[in-house]
Parts: sequence; C-alpha cells; structure tokens
Amino acid sequence: MTADLTQLFEQHYGSLVRMLYRRTGDRDRAEDLAQETFARAVAAPPNNPRPWLFAVALNLVREDGRRNVRQGRRLELLRTETVPSPGPEEEFDRNERSAGVRAALATLSERDREALLLKAEGFNYGEIAATLGLSKGAVGTTLARARRRLVEAYRTEGRGKNVAS
Amino acid sequence: MSHLDEGTLHALLDGELDLAEVSEIQKHLGSCVACGSRLQEVKQVLAEADRLVGAMEVPAGAPRARPEPPRSQPSPPPFQPAHEPDAWNEPPVLLVPDPIDAGATRRRWIRGLAVAAALAGVVAGGRLIGSAFKPGHPVLSERDLTSAQPAVPPAVVSPEERKAESTLATRDKQTRLQNRLAAPAPAPKAAPPRQEPDPDSATQLADSDAFAAAADDSITADSLALAGQAAADSSTQVAAAAADSSSVDGNTAPEASESDALATRRAAAAALAELDRERVRQRAAAATAALPPPARPEVQPEAEPAPRPPTLEQRAQIYLRIGLDEAVKQLGGPVHVIEGMTPQFIGLTRTQLIPGTGPARPVVRVVYLDARGRLILLDQQRVATGQTPSLPAGSLRWTIGDVMLYLRGEPGPDVLRNLQARVR
Repeated sequence: MTADLTQLFEQHYGSLVRMLYRRTGDRDRAEDLAQETFARAVAAPPNNPRPWLFAVALNLVREDGRRNVRQGRRLELLRTETVPSPGPEEEFDRNERSAGVRAALATLSERDREALLLKAEGFNYGEIAATLGLSKGAVGTTLARARRRLVEAYRTEGRGKNVAS
Repeated sequence: MSHLDEGTLHALLDGELDLAEVSEIQKHLGSCVACGSRLQEVKQVLAEADRLVGAMEVPAGAPRARPEPPRSQPSPPPFQPAHEPDAWNEPPVLLVPDPIDAGATRRRWIRGLAVAAALAGVVAGGRLIGSAFKPGHPVLSERDLTSAQPAVPPAVVSPEERKAESTLATRDKQTRLQNRLAAPAPAPKAAPPRQEPDPDSATQLADSDAFAAAADDSITADSLALAGQAAADSSTQVAAAAADSSSVDGNTAPEASESDALATRRAAAAALAELDRERVRQRAAAATAALPPPARPEVQPEAEPAPRPPTLEQRAQIYLRIGLDEAVKQLGGPVHVIEGMTPQFIGLTRTQLIPGTGPARPVVRVVYLDARGRLILLDQQRVATGQTPSLPAGSLRWTIGDVMLYLRGEPGPDVLRNLQARVR
C-alpha cells in the first residue's frame, strides 16, 4: 500500500498542486491542500485515484473558502505572490497575465471553473464527470460554456493583448 | 441532421467522440457551412482558453517537503556546512609544513655554532623574560589592536634590541621548533568562536610566518633571543592577524555568508522551477502525443498554413462560404445540386451569370470535386421575373424555374453535359 501511495504521489502530486494553485492563486495553500488530500488518501485508499484525489482536493478548496469567508479572512484569489522571482520583468509579466486569467476565471461558476481546470490537467470527459459528479454527456456543454466565458471575461478585462503577444 | 451544438463541437475537438459520431458529424460539416464556421470559432476559443489556463504557472520557489516524510525539516541550508569545512581545512596545510622544512635546513647549518653559543643562550633567555614586561611593542603599536588582546604574553623584543643582541648567541633547536609550532596555536584562541577564515587572514598568517623566516635569514646564526623573539613576533602577528580578521570578519563575514546562502537558495529555486517547467513541457508533449486520432482530421485543415498553394475556396473563387439555409434565402427557392455528388461547400462568388444584376441577387456557387479531384462549379442566380434570357439548347447555361444555372469546371464539356442531366 505504501508503494502504491508513493507511486500515486509521484504521479499526481505535481498536477494536483498546479490545479489547486490555479484554483486558489496561492501556492502555499495549494501545497497544504494537496498534502491534506494525500493524507486522506492514506486513511482511505481510493479505487479510482485520480478523480478521487481531485474531487477531495476541490472539496477541500470549497470548505476552505467557506471557512475563510466565515472568519472574515480575505480571499486570496488575487493575492500577490511573495516567493522570490527568478527574473523580475519576466516574473512581472507572468504575474500580470496570471492575475488577469485568475480574475477571468473567478467570474465563472464553480462547476465550469473546475471542469476547465481538470481538463487542463489532462482529464478526459469520463474522469471530469466522475470528479464533479456530472453526466458524461454534460461535460462537453460545461466545458464549452466555461471556455467561452473565460475567453470573453479575459477579453473584457482588456488583458487579451498580454497573451496574444 | 440538425445543427451541431457547441458542446458537441468541443467534444469533437477534445477527441471525446467515437468514430461513428465523428463520421456523422463530418458528413454534416461537409454540407453545413454554418456548422463549419462555428467549428472554426470553437477551435479558436478552445485554443485561447487552453493558453489562458496554461498561463497560470505555479510560481517558482523553494520546494516544501512532501507529506512523507512529513514536512518538518526546515528548508535552510545544507549548503553552509558543506562550504565551511573546506575553508577551514586549507590554512593549516599552508601554514605548517613549509617553514618547518626550510627552518630545519637552516638549523642544521647553525648547529655548528650552537656549542659556542650555549652560554649566551642562557643570558638571552634571561633578557627575553625581562623583555616580557616591556610595554609598547612597535609591531603591535603599528597595528590597531584596540580590541584585541595578544593571545600570548607580550614576550617580545623590539627590533632595536634584536640588533643590539644579534651577536649574542645561537639558539636551541628544540626551543625554536617548539616556539615555531606554538606560533599558530594561539590564533584560534584569539579568534571568535564562529570566525570564518578568509583569504585575508590566511595571507596574514602566512605573512607572519614569512616574517619569522625572513628574520631567521637575516640573522642566520643568531641568538636564542632572536629566535624566541621571531617566534614571539610570529605569534603576536598571528594574534594580530586573528584580531584583524575578527574585527573585519566580525562585520562582513556573516553578511557575506548570508548573501551566499541566499544566492545559493535562489539558484536552487530557479533550478527547481526549471525542472518543474521541464516536467510540464514533458507532460504537454505526452498529452499531445496521446491525442486520440479522431480529432486530427478536424485539426488538420486549420493546421495547413497559408503558404500552401490556393485553397479550394480560392480555386473556386468563393469570397464567402454560406450554409444551405443562406443559399436558399439568396436564391428565393431550393438550391440545385448534382444528384449523386456531395458538394464540398456552398459559397458566394462575384461572377455574374446575368449581366447587370445587382447585389440583391448574388450568384450562389456549389462546389464539387469529382473522383479525380477536378473542380466542378454549379453557379445559380435568381432571375428577375419576366427577364428569363433565351439560351441555346445544349448550352451549359440553362434555367430551372426562375433560377439560372451555369455548370462549368475542369472536366471536359462532355463530362459536364452528363452532369448537367443530373442537376436537380
């Protein structure tokens, strides 16, 4: 079981952290949530690991978000990163673009946003459906709406030039 | 088949449809220009959405430990301990062996005079002890040693005294050796506990030793007092050097080591970030390679860039592709097609079938390719009522109802006439 878990960790940890970072905009929080997710996987090893891990992680994000709101803590969706940057200008551009996309992403519904982020991690429609509790047939429509709204929101914010260039 | 919804088009591009669905959709796309153009839009939206999400990279930074082993270990430096021992190891190697051998050679030569100097050695020893109580050693006074205490008692003879006594005696080998060996020893005592030896202090240590050696050379067969003095000089200089380095390093060394550590950590973070990016690239490459084949036939037409010679639209001189509905609207009635052939697409062309026709009645062109890839165009234009032109029989221009048709293309007239008979 330990070997399985190690393998699971090697396979999915990076992807999970990336998805959580895109979802929360906070690298530390993403790592904490990913570790909490794996801690839960130790307690109850899943059968279908990838959808399970991501479903648990997304549930944790939602719980965490609700707790933040209750406690009056600020949402960190647009928080600036404090990690030292490799190259100031490049990092600035990247942060700028990243913040623009995150703002656009924040305008989407929870389900649309999650479907989009899971797709970006290479999930197929079946896995997305299993993770989000959708029917497989609804995934295409969900993704279509999510992508369209993301692009529209990003363009509306006038940041389209950053990515186009 | 009704028009394709957006979700289906996304599923198609995501490679989520099975072969039967894909071929059915392709069939529909072959005849439905509206869906074809929507597919192009969806492709763009999909690509841009992917690019936007992909732009949110996890920022680089010092990696945190993973759940197993638990992340209790603090990130800071395995780097400093690795750095320091090397620095500590070097100076003793430089200090000890070299002068001893040189001194030993000289001492062998000196030994011949040792007997004659034996008595003088006792006297010089007495003077040496006496000089220990003299303040204000010039070498010390030249240095700013306000904060440093010499590690050994100031058993020092001034240069003046040294010159005066230079004839006194030779020295005892063991005493000299002990003094020389003792010389470096006080240095660590005088140094602060966490002092980091740097090139400066090493140089000064070496200098002090060189000074001792130079003193030896100048006096060759000199007295024990001189030997003792040289050793004492050496030791005080070492102490001074240590004090110097402690006063200097006390200010700069920690900062230097901190900035070193910071730089090292940044370099490590950058390397890890690069590793992450490389992983993402590999994953992306793997994901691209694993794309299911059904999506490819749809992607390929877009991937064909402009440099490729004329597209079918260009060859057919279509300025706008339209759907069947639009064609019907433009013609005010059904679109005529060649029975048994599947059109590539329908479009509008600027060519006029009837001279003087205004833009209200554009020419609808149905484009076909025959089995040999030859272009066949079936132009159609609505004729104003009462203006039906008279056309010679057997011409490839003819009218059906109030629509004028013109069949032409790359195949010969005989082939076209055969096709003309199949136009409905």
